[in-house]
Amino acid sequence: MTVPATNEGITPGVPEFVARHPTGAYAGLSPTTKLVVAFTEAAVAFLVRGWTGPIAVVLVVATTAIIARVGRRMVPYVLATLPLVASILLINTFLFPGATDVIARIGPLIPTWSGLEAALQATLRVVAFALSVAVFSLTTPTDDLLTDLERRGLGRRGEFVIAAAVRTIPRMLERAAEIVDAQRARGLDTEGPRWRRVRGILPVAGPMLTSALTEVEERTMALEARAFSAPGRRTVLRLLPDSAAQAAVRWMLLVGTFVVIIASLTGLVRVP
Amino acid sequence: MDWLSRQFSTRVIALMPVAIAINIVLGYTVQTVFKLPIYLDSIGTIFVGVLAGPIAGALTGILSNLIWQYAPGIGGGTIGPFAVVAGVIGLLAGLWGQLGVYRRRPAQGTSLWGPVAVAIVVILVLASRIYGNPVYDDPEYFVSWYSTAILIVAVVLSAAVAVAAYVRRDAAAAWVALAGALTGVVAALASAPISAYVFGGVTGGGTDVIVAALRQGGTDVLNAALGQGFFSDPIDKTITSFVVFVVLASLSSRLVARFPLGERLLGAESA
Amino acid sequence: MTLRLAGASYRYAGARSPALIGVDLVIEPGEVVGVVGANESGKSTLCLVAAGLAPASIGGELGGSVTLGGEETRSLRPHELAQRAGILFQDANTQLSGTARSVWEEVAFGPRNLALPVEEVVARVGRALAVLGIEALAPRDPQRLSGGQAQLVALASVLALRPALLVLDEPTSQLDPLGTRLVGDALAGLAAGTGTAILVVEHKTDLLERLAGRVLVVDGGRVVRSGLTAEVLEDPSLGHLGVEPPSRVALRRAVEEAGLRLDPGALAPAGSGHAS
Repeated sequence: MTVPATNEGITPGVPEFVARHPTGAYAGLSPTTKLVVAFTEAAVAFLVRGWTGPIAVVLVVATTAIIARVGRRMVPYVLATLPLVASILLINTFLFPGATDVIARIGPLIPTWSGLEAALQATLRVVAFALSVAVFSLTTPTDDLLTDLERRGLGRRGEFVIAAAVRTIPRMLERAAEIVDAQRARGLDTEGPRWRRVRGILPVAGPMLTSALTEVEERTMALEARAFSAPGRRTVLRLLPDSAAQAAVRWMLLVGTFVVIIASLTGLVRVP
Repeated sequence: MDWLSRQFSTRVIALMPVAIAINIVLGYTVQTVFKLPIYLDSIGTIFVGVLAGPIAGALTGILSNLIWQYAPGIGGGTIGPFAVVAGVIGLLAGLWGQLGVYRRRPAQGTSLWGPVAVAIVVILVLASRIYGNPVYDDPEYFVSWYSTAILIVAVVLSAAVAVAAYVRRDAAAAWVALAGALTGVVAALASAPISAYVFGGVTGGGTDVIVAALRQGGTDVLNAALGQGFFSDPIDKTITSFVVFVVLASLSSRLVARFPLGERLLGAESA
Repeated sequence: MTLRLAGASYRYAGARSPALIGVDLVIEPGEVVGVVGANESGKSTLCLVAAGLAPASIGGELGGSVTLGGEETRSLRPHELAQRAGILFQDANTQLSGTARSVWEEVAFGPRNLALPVEEVVARVGRALAVLGIEALAPRDPQRLSGGQAQLVALASVLALRPALLVLDEPTSQLDPLGTRLVGDALAGLAAGTGTAILVVEHKTDLLERLAGRVLVVDGGRVVRSGLTAEVLEDPSLGHLGVEPPSRVALRRAVEEAGLRLDPGALAPAGSGHAS
């Protein structure tokens, strides 16, 4: 269905702070569109062998990042991949099995061209993926995505599980920090030898799990008491923007990606 | 279909977000606060699998990975592609739940040490299969310290099983440890191809030294990734399974009985 | 809609002995009935049985008869029960859905679940917020409210389902005095204004004196005392049953123990027609 950019007249009476959704060149697209884009970018980056796949993804991501004006905020996402990238580059350049095209011999170290190529390709894949995740996360609030997906078939239970998980994590992180502090005051060792640190896991994990599980009982009753298990689709209060053009693009992306991946994996089409 | 919808009662729907959050929070805490090379990030998945069944467990694992990867403010890293592995762990946990592996079995004497002996034998057999992997048989490629390490891990694991069974006087300790070790082996088998094919065979963590050493010894990318997995996953999943077991045993039977697989956990105790 | 328990007993799933035994109780529309008793005496079980969550949501075995407006609760599904009996627990945090971005959406959670038309959802949310006087909280984040405010939001989201019976299990026990007053005022207004039947478990007997016309005392799963609020709460044997007397009763006893005499009308319950 085509949904205009504002909700006026469609869901009357719903306050503005409930019904509003993000605007902007890229961010204003349907969340499902952005999800499909992120998914196809990830699939192409990881499953299309060679240089073409990852490079294409990096170009597309860079373009969308510029349109969405999120360029600078993507930096932390890329920086987070540094340890992995370092490991990929080092281990594959110097220790690529079966490679004989040596670059140089630096003492005991023997880097090879095949290893370097594999390392750079893998690095490109990781960076392309990280960038696609960054653009998605920075332009798509979870609530909007879940509202849209629920309407499209995810259902109230799927929406609830994901939304509740995302909102619970910050509070639970605080509680974990509190438990660790309390246990440290009782002599929990988090700095000492490894086997003592392992013993420290149970005093932290145990209370967290137990309190979380006893809460589940009350949460279950609270949900049932508010008719959560009623049949049918829930009332829609927010309609996220969409258009026939976007729907067409989504289908093309999905089908196209599927074709490209099959072609690459079976070697039907060889690209560098 | 009724079996499927029973797995997703309101209670299970209320449990899953909590389990997902625990996966992510404990996974993060263990790595940053304890700085241990184990993950503990499938603990919620195993919980849901044991209490609610394989599909619920699998979904918990998959969603945990996807949320940890994509949720704004939380997301990042490269855990997303391993969602399939998390799903498999949840499936297995559901299987163990159906089989009643986590049910308490207070025992003494032979009914206690019998299962322990069985568990130890299976663990050593598994270790010897890894030890004797054909790739490592070739004397030119043999990495002796790795095989020794695997053997030591197996012995330590067996000793831990025996101690746990003795301390808790509970034969279930043996079955739980076995379930954990098996889950770890399957997890390693499932994640190695992803690591090798997508991430150049490394994880970015400290255990990459194992990958480096194995490759230095001549192993190929996939087997080096597998070797790294066999080293860390069985230990991690066994510890995780134990924590789940201890916590489940401490919950009131009133709470446990209300879950789909609750009766299998309580066994003969439920009235 | 009348709540009627006749010989009601209940055993939790996985438990050996019943938690509630042979309870008879009738609550008419507009009545407020209080429940007191020691911990683990069966008060919470009584709440779950009255609201129908036991056995519909938590399993277990229900004996005797529990009817709401003539219909047996055991024959109703949880979402049908939710529209007849609302329940509020101590901990506001676990009752909020945890998925709503604003108080408005939180209160809309219940009506949305019933797939009511948008206009109906909007109307019910507006009315629930207005009845409790918390319209100003509508745009706020539910996870950033004070304890008392959160309880009121939880109460509003229950009221949005328009239940004829409201069951409250120690609604103020985690609140500070300000929060307690907020909730107490809201409940008093509710009973007087809307004809909702209310069953409220409370340790704070002062609050019950103000709200409830009748009080039950629960011990060992049975109702051991039942009657008008003032009479039941003045019973000296209540201490043995783990119930603190209201402050005016405690004050009166302390004064008398000190050997002073009081006018017969002094420290009488509010609104009883005596000079105080």
